[in-house]
Amino acid sequence: MNNSIFPSIWRFIGLVAVQALLLQQAGSAIGSYFNVLLYPLFILLLPIQMPTPYVVLLGFAIGLSVDFFYTTIGLHASAGAFSGFARSIILAAYKPKGGYSGKEPVAAPAYFGWQWFVQVAALFFIAHLFWYFSVNAFTFVYFTTITLKTLASWGLTMIFVVLYCILFNPKN
Amino acid sequence: MTFLLVELFCFYIILQYNDRQNAIFTHTMGLVGGNIQEKRSNLLAYTHLKEVSDSLIAENAHLRAQLSDARNIQVPYRDTFFLRELDSLASNDSLRRLMIRPQYEFIAGRVVGNSISGANNWLVINRGSSDNVQPGMGVVTKDGIAGIVRHVTPHFSMAMSLLHRQTKISVVIHRADAPAPSIRDAGNDNTAGRRKEPVRSLGSLIWEGGDPSVMTLKFVQRHFKVKENDLVLTSGYSQIFPKDILVGKVEGTPKEDPENLNSWIIRVKLNQDMATLNHVYIVNDIFYSELDSLNQKAKNE
Repeated sequence: MNNSIFPSIWRFIGLVAVQALLLQQAGSAIGSYFNVLLYPLFILLLPIQMPTPYVVLLGFAIGLSVDFFYTTIGLHASAGAFSGFARSIILAAYKPKGGYSGKEPVAAPAYFGWQWFVQVAALFFIAHLFWYFSVNAFTFVYFTTITLKTLASWGLTMIFVVLYCILFNPKN
Repeated sequence: MTFLLVELFCFYIILQYNDRQNAIFTHTMGLVGGNIQEKRSNLLAYTHLKEVSDSLIAENAHLRAQLSDARNIQVPYRDTFFLRELDSLASNDSLRRLMIRPQYEFIAGRVVGNSISGANNWLVINRGSSDNVQPGMGVVTKDGIAGIVRHVTPHFSMAMSLLHRQTKISVVIHRADAPAPSIRDAGNDNTAGRRKEPVRSLGSLIWEGGDPSVMTLKFVQRHFKVKENDLVLTSGYSQIFPKDILVGKVEGTPKEDPENLNSWIIRVKLNQDMATLNHVYIVNDIFYSELDSLNQKAKNE
């Protein structure tokens, strides 16, 4: 458990930096429908055994950090907290036979295989993005736009998620 | 639980720091609030039904009162004499109402042609034989009298203006200091008896040309003391005009009539400005033919 704290801290700093310095610029360059949000990967890669309230609070923390760069105080924080909550449900649904053991500290492809990871990550990110765009619009009057934005951004984000996992192959 | 609390806090800070979301939130709350307000007032409306019906009843009574007033004010749609009697009755006193017969009908019309500059002037009125207008009917306005119908087509009638050489109207001169002419039989009441002076005197109103606002009153007996501003009213004897319509007021001091030494020549300032005639009422005396045949019998004897 103790070993997984430092990678998470580094991941926190790195993902916020990448999100704020690179992906924000890239997203605004491509257009409003494509919004690459990679930072929720930090939440997904938190230790599996971590209690949900902590995950929610940490999701809130990283979201708020991103918000400071996006000048949208509360928006990403809300999405991050939601993702932290959603992660526990998704992970419970994709529980392997016999449940999670201490042998798999994080939900990474290194432990569960790419197929499992992409499924979990796909659900996780679609939840996060949908929540984010809903809160951003702040009304379901624009439900179609919210859905389109979610799908477009989700496709792009998933490419980055897979690239990240290939590059860093997170193990804890 | 943590999740809900965190989300609540998130929404709070979103609303605090994001103008757009705050605007949407405020607007939505306004809509929801308005909706709730409307539902609430709809519910409460039922509890106010009694008050609403009370106020409607009161308003109804008020309008009814106005309507009966209107009958009095919109003279001359009906003979004022009979109207006053009618309105003083209890409205459900059908027996007494049967005893009261209106003598006049008033046909409302508009003057569509008028002159005042000639020696003999005419009015054209947009009512004719199809509206029951017949030659010989009087033309009155709310301020006085205007003329007498002489020629009739289906939709128009030609009336001899007051400003016509042949005009000769039976009028009474009524002392301005006497009780108002609306009090009937004023000549017989006690005050007049004590004064031993007649309140009224009969005369004939003619027009001698010239000033269209002044007519001449002749055949008022010399023993009647005429003062300036004495009222000149229709006599009601001619079957053309109803009784006691104000025609004008005495102007200046009367002169002796050189042709008829027993009477005055009096200048009368017309109450109705003949230049601005517009809405007029043509007077239909319902009993005209009946009285006329009576007169014919008297003549034939």
